[in-house]
Amino acid sequence: MHQQDIQKLTETITKAVLAEIARGAGTPAHTADAPATAPEIARMQSSTPARIAVGRAGARLRTESYLQLRADHAAARDAVLQDVDGDFLARLGLETVLTRCADKDEFLTRPDLGRVFPAESLAQLKAINPEPCDVLVYLADGLSSRAAEANGETILPLLLEGLRGQGLKVGQPFFVAYGRVATMEQVAQTVGAKVVCVLLGERPGLGSAESMSAYLAWNPRPGMPESERTVVSNIYAGGINAAEAGAYLTDVLARVYREQKSGV
Amino acid sequence: MAETLRSVGIDVGTSTTQVVFSALTVTDTAGLFRVPNAQITATRVLYQSPVYPTPLLDEKRIDAAALRTIVAAEYRNAGIAPGETDTGAVIITGESARKENARAVLENLRDFAGKFVVATAGPDLESRIAGQGSGAQALSRARRCSVVNLDIGGGTTNLALFDSGKFVASACYDIGGKMLRFSADGRLTTLSPAAQDVARQHNLSLTVGQVPQTAQLAQLAKVLTEALESAALGKASPLLERLRTAGSSRHFPTSPYPRITLSGGVADCVFDETLPDFAYGDFGVLLGRALRQSALFAKAERGGETIRATVIGAGSHTTELSGSTVHYSSADLFPLQNVPVFAVSERQEAALWRGDCDTFAQDFAHFLTQTDSPHAVCALQGRRNPGYTDLTRLARALVRSLSGSPLLVILHEDNAKALGLILSGLLRGTPLVVLDNICAGANTYLDIGQPILGGLTLPVVVKTLIMGSAT
Repeated sequence: MHQQDIQKLTETITKAVLAEIARGAGTPAHTADAPATAPEIARMQSSTPARIAVGRAGARLRTESYLQLRADHAAARDAVLQDVDGDFLARLGLETVLTRCADKDEFLTRPDLGRVFPAESLAQLKAINPEPCDVLVYLADGLSSRAAEANGETILPLLLEGLRGQGLKVGQPFFVAYGRVATMEQVAQTVGAKVVCVLLGERPGLGSAESMSAYLAWNPRPGMPESERTVVSNIYAGGINAAEAGAYLTDVLARVYREQKSGV
Repeated sequence: MAETLRSVGIDVGTSTTQVVFSALTVTDTAGLFRVPNAQITATRVLYQSPVYPTPLLDEKRIDAAALRTIVAAEYRNAGIAPGETDTGAVIITGESARKENARAVLENLRDFAGKFVVATAGPDLESRIAGQGSGAQALSRARRCSVVNLDIGGGTTNLALFDSGKFVASACYDIGGKMLRFSADGRLTTLSPAAQDVARQHNLSLTVGQVPQTAQLAQLAKVLTEALESAALGKASPLLERLRTAGSSRHFPTSPYPRITLSGGVADCVFDETLPDFAYGDFGVLLGRALRQSALFAKAERGGETIRATVIGAGSHTTELSGSTVHYSSADLFPLQNVPVFAVSERQEAALWRGDCDTFAQDFAHFLTQTDSPHAVCALQGRRNPGYTDLTRLARALVRSLSGSPLLVILHEDNAKALGLILSGLLRGTPLVVLDNICAGANTYLDIGQPILGGLTLPVVVKTLIMGSAT
């Protein structure tokens, strides 16, 4: 086929398609809504958080779905990039301890620095907990500050109350900014805590930016194998709610303390 | 991690009595790194008894001794000793629940079966159990659709509506195969009060001791079929209202396009076209034929179980599991049986969450004096994502208002472990049980079995004990 013919054919097709779209614009066929089987669709939608049966406008998403997607994506980005609210930390009485990361950018690009503390932070940890303890629980931002804010206020007091109720000596909690899971090694060594549990935000998805995980271990120490860590994930309103997770973790931590092992 | 519970189901129906033994497999279905979530993942029938006629002393009394002999023999045939089951239910249904000695018979059988076997009765409960046993619930879950099951037995027809596997509604009507009974030479020997009433309304001449005309019987079957059509479609009708079983739910809500399944003895008469008119000496075959000719029921499906639906339901579906994050101060508290449920109203619950408990404390204390039980369980809805301060306020209000020992609280939402933790801190030593994932309304009782799966979850039966008045 000659170049000219191809160009002509392309034009013809484009015109026809545009005409078709113009003819159908705004009609039900082009902004397909829920079909006649609405109750069945609603049932399917209620069974998954995935964006199914959202309809379409022509070949694209409807404006509403598109905006929702953009909003959720923005929320996920915000959860990663924003810092935990200072008022929130003050309300919970949590002192902030910094890792070696200077800012969010460094935290995201240098995972190794998010696992260790500078000398002044280690001194601060020692000042917060001058005495060794059986169990130490602390909060960290991890990859979602929103998760810390959404669950911290419920899960922390429950854990403290529960652990004390089991007769354990519980350390004073604090907040680690730019913190990753493996901060627990230095924390445990510095404070002298037998069991350490860090509550931190998980990398947000489009479904939720508020999901938190609890990582805990018996005798955390530098160079410990990852397999010695126990994890309880999916802590948020749509998974296990923070209150139940806190009560459940109380039992897990007490058991880890009793059995002197974790990761099983 | 999995554990198997052995369950017994005993159904004493209007015309038949049956026993089944099933194995319920309980598994922690949560993935790695998740909070545990125990579920009943499989049910398997281990042994089914033959279908026995329910032994009667006379029109008003069940032959308790003969019944016990039947059940004892079936335990032997199954190779299972009484007390060797972990859970189960004895259910007395239809006309049998209205006999003078129904309660005594039921309790006698429960004592024989032993351990954690519950005694149940009540038209709504038997409707749900039949729908679960027939496979209607599983069908609605698998197909994500609405399914209405009609369990047409000897004395009653039990309707249960399920939507996407969830039980939605039930109803019970005095329509069944044994409404009319005939002697070998075709004379009418028994006419149930419901049949008498319908005959009178429609000017049908049916007289005990005489041979009824075929046309009159066909007319009666047609009228009853129409009533069942209305019932299946959720349409109210004056006739249906007259036939409603005492103690049954008043109205059966509509659902756009329910699939219909049929179970019960009469279902077999619907699908088996070869049965002679009076094969069972009753009205069942004629009623079944009329149903087959109805446009609505011609599209109905035969339940996976028909005449055994209720007993299978009693054996395999009466036991639920509590949530997997729960609180109890000691495993020695269980089993707890026949605990009356105090269903907290929405308004009262809202007040409790605010920390306000004035009327609730009085209502609960009053309820407790009305029952002859040393304790009652407080049933709450709970919240999806409660905060620590909310839970603390609720716990304080509950401690101020609840009485009895142990203190018992159940919730629908996943709140039990957190609430239990806070409550136990406030109570200092009072025995306490807090369970969730359980819905129990007014007029129900709770049986709670011993913890399973290493203490993760507890088997729970929510039951009613409604005996009809003797007819």
